[in-house]
Amino acid sequence: MRAPGMPGFWWWILQRVSGLLLVVLIVAHGWFSHFVPISNVQAGLQAEPVVFDAVKRRLAQGGFIALDFVLLGVVLYHGLNGMRNIFLEWGPAARRQHLVEGGLWVVGLVAFGFGARTLAVFIWD
Amino acid sequence: MAFVSGALKAAVLHPGVAARRPRYSTGWWAWLLQRVTGVLLVAYLLLHIGVISSVQAGAHAFDRVLAFVQAPVFAYLDIVLIAIVLYHGANGVRVILLDMGVGNRHQAAMAWLAVLVTAAGTAFAAYLGRPLL
Repeated sequence: MRAPGMPGFWWWILQRVSGLLLVVLIVAHGWFSHFVPISNVQAGLQAEPVVFDAVKRRLAQGGFIALDFVLLGVVLYHGLNGMRNIFLEWGPAARRQHLVEGGLWVVGLVAFGFGARTLAVFIWD
Repeated sequence: MAFVSGALKAAVLHPGVAARRPRYSTGWWAWLLQRVTGVLLVAYLLLHIGVISSVQAGAHAFDRVLAFVQAPVFAYLDIVLIAIVLYHGANGVRVILLDMGVGNRHQAAMAWLAVLVTAAGTAFAAYLGRPLL
């Protein structure tokens, strides 16, 4: 049962809050990463290819790298907690549940570290 | 606070949306599609992180990988991705509203509204992205 003060309740609330955040963050991410570059060259309807220098230049503009860092953390939380929710709907045994939750934490932390290291290359290289 | 109390009531009384949706009803399909799109989005997310991580092998490696995924076929797949994202987001807002006790009598119509938002948004994105297609 989910009741206030119990961890399950807060994970559940956080799934809603992160979901609403993602509606804003993902639209912003897609818009600035793809549609702005497209519209910049729309005169000739020639798409600007995504290359390292262009991405580095875009991410160097204020705020964009922060947007991607926040997005990385929020989207990993929402996605992996969503996987946990699907798994819990099967009503698994407690031992198996802890095993899956531990596995999801490992996937999340590794993916966050990997993604953060990737974003760092665009800032410091 | 209305959100928390409404959400709490829904969570305690209805732990699983699936439990109170008859099989093959509109709400059941909306619930199933939310799960399917969610799993697809996690798979895409991990793939996306992997593709962009090619930059760790240097700018040239990144440019090679990115040139590959900018073939026209991937632009069409991006349209599919946008549709999946839009449905998951629009239906997610519907789920939050229903959790808060908003519009429960119109949950089926709201599911179709999520589909409408998905169709309109996808068409708009395809229109904006037509230089890539």
